Amino acid sequence: MGAVKKPPIFFAGLLFLGVMSLSAAEDRKERVLNDRKEVEASGNWIYNDLPKGFAEAARTGKPLLVVIRCIP
Amino acid sequence: MNKFVCVRLVQANALDLALFQFDYDLTFAVFLLNADKTIYGRFGSRSDRRDAAKDISLEGFRKALTAALDLHKRYPANKALLAGKQPRPARFKTPEEFPSLAGKYKPRLEYEGKVVQSCMHCHQVRDAERRFLRDENKAIPDQVLYPYPMPNAAGLALDPKEKAKVTGVAAGSPAEKAGFKTGDEILSLEGQPVLSIADVQWVLHNANEPSTLSAQILRRGKKINIALDLAADWRRQSDIAWRVTTWDLRRMVAGGMVLQDSTTAERRAARLPEDTLALRVNHVGEYGDHAVATRAGFKKDDILVSVDGQTGHLGEGELFRYLLQRKMPGEKIPVTVLRDGERMNLELLMQ
Repeated sequence: MGAVKKPPIFFAGLLFLGVMSLSAAEDRKERVLNDRKEVEASGNWIYNDLPKGFAEAARTGKPLLVVIRCIP
Repeated sequence: MNKFVCVRLVQANALDLALFQFDYDLTFAVFLLNADKTIYGRFGSRSDRRDAAKDISLEGFRKALTAALDLHKRYPANKALLAGKQPRPARFKTPEEFPSLAGKYKPRLEYEGKVVQSCMHCHQVRDAERRFLRDENKAIPDQVLYPYPMPNAAGLALDPKEKAKVTGVAAGSPAEKAGFKTGDEILSLEGQPVLSIADVQWVLHNANEPSTLSAQILRRGKKINIALDLAADWRRQSDIAWRVTTWDLRRMVAGGMVLQDSTTAERRAARLPEDTLALRVNHVGEYGDHAVATRAGFKKDDILVSVDGQTGHLGEGELFRYLLQRKMPGEKIPVTVLRDGERMNLELLMQ
């Protein structure tokens, strides 16, 4: 069974609040790896693949929302 | 959110600098754009080292997204309106083209290897830009030294929960002289529709020195046009102490020292009037180029009372600007410090 899909705003909120709330216990490598896992699991984000995002926007007619979020 | 194609970027590696121009000290920046790369707006602002979320909110983010969707609906009929929001010509197309970053990073993160070390941070772009100018023996201009000024540099406090709503106007500021009032909503700046505080910063970042910016505001349901006059040195009101990129400025002109203006009590104890230079050394570096001041004999808690003959009051950022715009790498600057009540002459190497 796949991961339970969460609403996109949930992940926007996570990205947003992540500015403050990343667990100090996680080391940086874990954070980087977990970030990819969690965001990709949401099914709503294209992860680190801008050309794919532009192609999808052109195909669907939707605008792009590009979040540049460093993982400290 | 499902009305957008959402893309998450976590690296500056191979970042398209001809498109993604923003405040590289941010750790959270958003671009709202069309598939043809026309930018509708930006989101993400910061003015505090510890509190990265002080100048943003989910409410403000939601309002920016809604406004972007509205622009998208009217696109391309409104393309001319968006012209000012588009990127400026970039000196280098990607960060890796900067000499100081060349050959150090691959275009993609190495998830199977040293993933953390393979990641280039956004702030490294700004560091590389300044280092490029410095290595070319060029003065670092105000625009590069004070990038993406917060609106308070012009005297405007804006509500992070709104797109660009004025919550305060500083007395005697350019904003007050222009006629801004608390409660005003900035609809457009220089003809550009404003979606966020970041959009205001974009206009400010690209403004001339001096300049007059045209603003359209909404006040009690009525649209009003305002002209905001900015003086030649207006950017210098920006605080850069919070920026991670200021760390490298400390290497360039302070030999790795972190300086802080002495408090009134400290000045009184040291018998230094308020209008004089009195920068206390809060930290001296220990390693490499950040230990240049240490090797020159500077110590923590020294008070700098004269730098290159400058004895008038200067904050850390003001001193950095003075040195970055006048002194080139390799020069040695005479510095007088106060240590345990005694004056001592030292030399500081510019890098």
